[in-house]
Amino acid sequence: MTGQRPALDRRSFLRLTAASGAAVVLSTAVGSRPAQAAPGGLRVYVVVTDGMRPEEIDPVLTPRLHRLRTEGTWFPAARSLPVMETIPNHVMMMTGVRPDRSGVPANSVYDRAEATVRDLDRPTDLRFPTVIERLRSAGHSTGTVLSKAYLYGIFGERADHRWEPFPLLPVTEHAPDAATMDAMLAMVDRFDPEFVFTNLGDVDRVGHSDLTGTTLRLARTAALASTDLQIGRLVDHLRVTGRWERTALVVLADHSMDWSLPTDLISVDAILRTRPDLRSSIQIAQNGGADLLYWTGPAASRQAGVAEVRRLVAAHPGVASVHAPRDLRLGPEAGDLVAYCRAGWRFTDPTPLSNPIPGNHGHPATEPIPFLVSGGHPRLSRGAVSSLAVRTIDVAPAVGAAFGLGAPRGGYDSSVPADALRRLIPRG
Amino acid sequence: MTPPLPAVSRRRALQVGGALTGAAVLGTSAPTAASAAPGRPAFSHGVASGDPLPTAVLLWTRVTPTSAATPGSGTGPVVSVEWEVATDDRFRQIARRGTVRTGPDRDHTVKADATGLTPARTYWYRFRCQGVVSPVGRTRTAPADDAAVPRLRMAVVSCANLQAGWFGAYRSLAARTDLDLVLHLGDYLYEYAPGEYQARDVVVRPHDPPREMVTLADHRRRHAQYKSDPDLQALHAVAPWVVTWDDHESANDAWSGGAENHTPGAEGQWTSRRAASQRAYAEWMPVRYEAGGRLYRRLRCGRLANLSMLDLRTYRDQQVASPVDPALGDPGRTLTGPDQMAFLLEGLADPSVQWKLVGNPVMIAPVQFPSTLDTRVLQGVEGLLGVDLPDQVGGLPYNVDQWDGYPAERARVLARLRDGGIRDAVFLTGDIHSGWAAELPSDPLTYPVTGDSLGTELVCTSVTSDNLDDILGVPPRTASLGVETAIRGANPHVKYLDFDSHGYSVLEVTPAAIQMDWFVLLDRTSRTSGAVWSSSWQVAAGSNRLSPAAGRLS
Repeated sequence: MTGQRPALDRRSFLRLTAASGAAVVLSTAVGSRPAQAAPGGLRVYVVVTDGMRPEEIDPVLTPRLHRLRTEGTWFPAARSLPVMETIPNHVMMMTGVRPDRSGVPANSVYDRAEATVRDLDRPTDLRFPTVIERLRSAGHSTGTVLSKAYLYGIFGERADHRWEPFPLLPVTEHAPDAATMDAMLAMVDRFDPEFVFTNLGDVDRVGHSDLTGTTLRLARTAALASTDLQIGRLVDHLRVTGRWERTALVVLADHSMDWSLPTDLISVDAILRTRPDLRSSIQIAQNGGADLLYWTGPAASRQAGVAEVRRLVAAHPGVASVHAPRDLRLGPEAGDLVAYCRAGWRFTDPTPLSNPIPGNHGHPATEPIPFLVSGGHPRLSRGAVSSLAVRTIDVAPAVGAAFGLGAPRGGYDSSVPADALRRLIPRG
Repeated sequence: MTPPLPAVSRRRALQVGGALTGAAVLGTSAPTAASAAPGRPAFSHGVASGDPLPTAVLLWTRVTPTSAATPGSGTGPVVSVEWEVATDDRFRQIARRGTVRTGPDRDHTVKADATGLTPARTYWYRFRCQGVVSPVGRTRTAPADDAAVPRLRMAVVSCANLQAGWFGAYRSLAARTDLDLVLHLGDYLYEYAPGEYQARDVVVRPHDPPREMVTLADHRRRHAQYKSDPDLQALHAVAPWVVTWDDHESANDAWSGGAENHTPGAEGQWTSRRAASQRAYAEWMPVRYEAGGRLYRRLRCGRLANLSMLDLRTYRDQQVASPVDPALGDPGRTLTGPDQMAFLLEGLADPSVQWKLVGNPVMIAPVQFPSTLDTRVLQGVEGLLGVDLPDQVGGLPYNVDQWDGYPAERARVLARLRDGGIRDAVFLTGDIHSGWAAELPSDPLTYPVTGDSLGTELVCTSVTSDNLDDILGVPPRTASLGVETAIRGANPHVKYLDFDSHGYSVLEVTPAAIQMDWFVLLDRTSRTSGAVWSSSWQVAAGSNRLSPAAGRLS
């Protein structure tokens, strides 16, 4: 379905100087049309403010986002989907299908073939066509500007134009928002793609990298202000370059954020310590607020073993619920059980030091997300608030419809009416 | 699909306005109940509708087929009553009609489920028996389940003690033309005998029958007395009601096995008394409930909101004797019963609606009464709550009849809100004869610093029933002001508190926010008293926080 992707050597690299004076390197598939390929038409920018909570859009703290929200359409009932992690929700935004169809249920999985726990950061991990390559096939130019190394990894060379995050900060492996926005503006100026998918990682990553937790709220506030500044740069740039009137800007988060106490830890490894028979048959892929558990013992004892693990894990006071992956529409990549923690708790496996990060997501407490559609396009709704229960998964059908793209084979997995999604972004 | 709504005619507007002067009957063309001839059937208790669904509304009336067939009499013939629902107030376009038989076995009350209607549409309805036509009522269906709803507006009322005053609150509400619903959170009627519970020391209107209601006939007669009130009839006739009971529909501080105001033996078995109250309630109220069934249920307003109506009397364990009773913390004690708890949690977690409204008869926000209150005030608060507060032993007292008396169950509800990342849960509450707006702290210890809230609670005051100034015997807004300040100080999540006023609330739900306006009655002992706007608070979508509204709803 995804078609043949151009090999690396068929891509050209372009070094640009960003407005801030920094160097930006963009790679572009050979054969892509140069700048101003589609003059005058609709431009759709999807900007993910990674890990932002909906109430963090605030007139004082994030004035630019607040203004976009006030001037556009705001969806207070918006939520992330399982597992409430970065990679699966970015994949859902771009595919419009649930992980049992895309193959991407979490950030971290146990790869049975390779017998190792790893991030889903390879282009081949994503098995469903994204709206990025579907737009490209239909003759629309596309770009990705993703601040996190693993997002750059999984979306691979699907877009015409892409930026490899640089510089990467230590520990968090993400580029700061200022650098990401430099790249986005450079891409817009040079290639003016009709669709750009951008991830701003600071808000999420500040939460994750503050290992002590003591300054967390302060650091979070600073990150929100800085991310808001970058959003403001984007809007201002689109205005001064005359693009605003054809812009539809979708801003949303991939998941929310919860903070756990150092005392409220759940270790499945510790839970199973008294049962070495079970412990030796289980692999754990830790995803912060969710643990994915994989039965690797004898197939004959799988059913009974998994049931017993489920019982033991569910009995932990910090565990909110335990699910069979299919009940959350997760495929076999998610293993045999998914355990969610309660708000204020986190999983840390195998040892209590394995996950020292207080900022946490992946569990249902981190489902609420900001979600707004704004921009200068004359046919966008103004000052609207909608009860529509939009999800991350609804981005792809809305973007696709704006460019006249039909549903992919098998349809989208949206839970909101298709006609409501078609009205989200005006037809280009 | 939907034909345009008929414009409200000038004649119609005048009729609705007529409710202001206490006229019970919304005008009709044909012969009306008001002029019932001797020996002919009469509709003396008004008409009502309730529990609107997208394509159905429950219609209610009571027919008096012969003059002997008085409420509670158990006599009178079985008769047929026709009902019709029209899209216009002159009944030129009949949408639906049907026939129901009723008789003494259900006290000649009539309940008809008018189905096959169009969602989100205003209808008029009336009944006919042997050629006599009832007053006309106006009602409205709910929006389709997946509809985008820009606005839902409802009246919120509770605690209407007929002996304590006139129902000016109902009359003021009946004059409005903007109500989609009337939400009644319980204490629709009171069980007491004349002289047992009234307006301070004044029995404004004595109860009928002139004794505490215990038997089925007592309950029927009491319901009939309330439904003879012109203001109550007027409000029933302008919009569908969604109701639940609290304790006074049976007896004060009722629980599954008894009630504070029930004396086993002298007043018979609690189970029989409760069965009588529930049967009369099913007969006399426009509610999708029949005796022996379950009253808790859920309604929905498109994608905008659901509304879970709770029954917090039928399944609850007995209240603990005092807030220092060690049984308080028993995790097995229940207010809701296990099935209703599952029902409530399911409604709160419904991902397909934005606002999760709960018709919650007793307060869920924790309230601690500060130990600095002087003895007289404390006794007044005790009187208001109907419980004994201990003499400041072991810390702060609270009300064991509300969720505060069932902390383990409240913790379950709050944990579900917190762990599920649930936003926009709003508890709509009555019972306490005072107006409150409160947040639900995620953690009471850190709340003063973080302000983290899991939801909100909006409490309407009483239509007439006594509150603090009445109990203390002082003028309104005097002694209570200090008490309110002290309570807000001890409970920083309580943003608004009015311990003195009677009246009603109007709630507006939109995708952007919820706002409640509190209106206060000038004088409940005056038959013609009006009501004035007092205060307005808002909950912005997604915030779980309260803020003062810029002004009242327009």
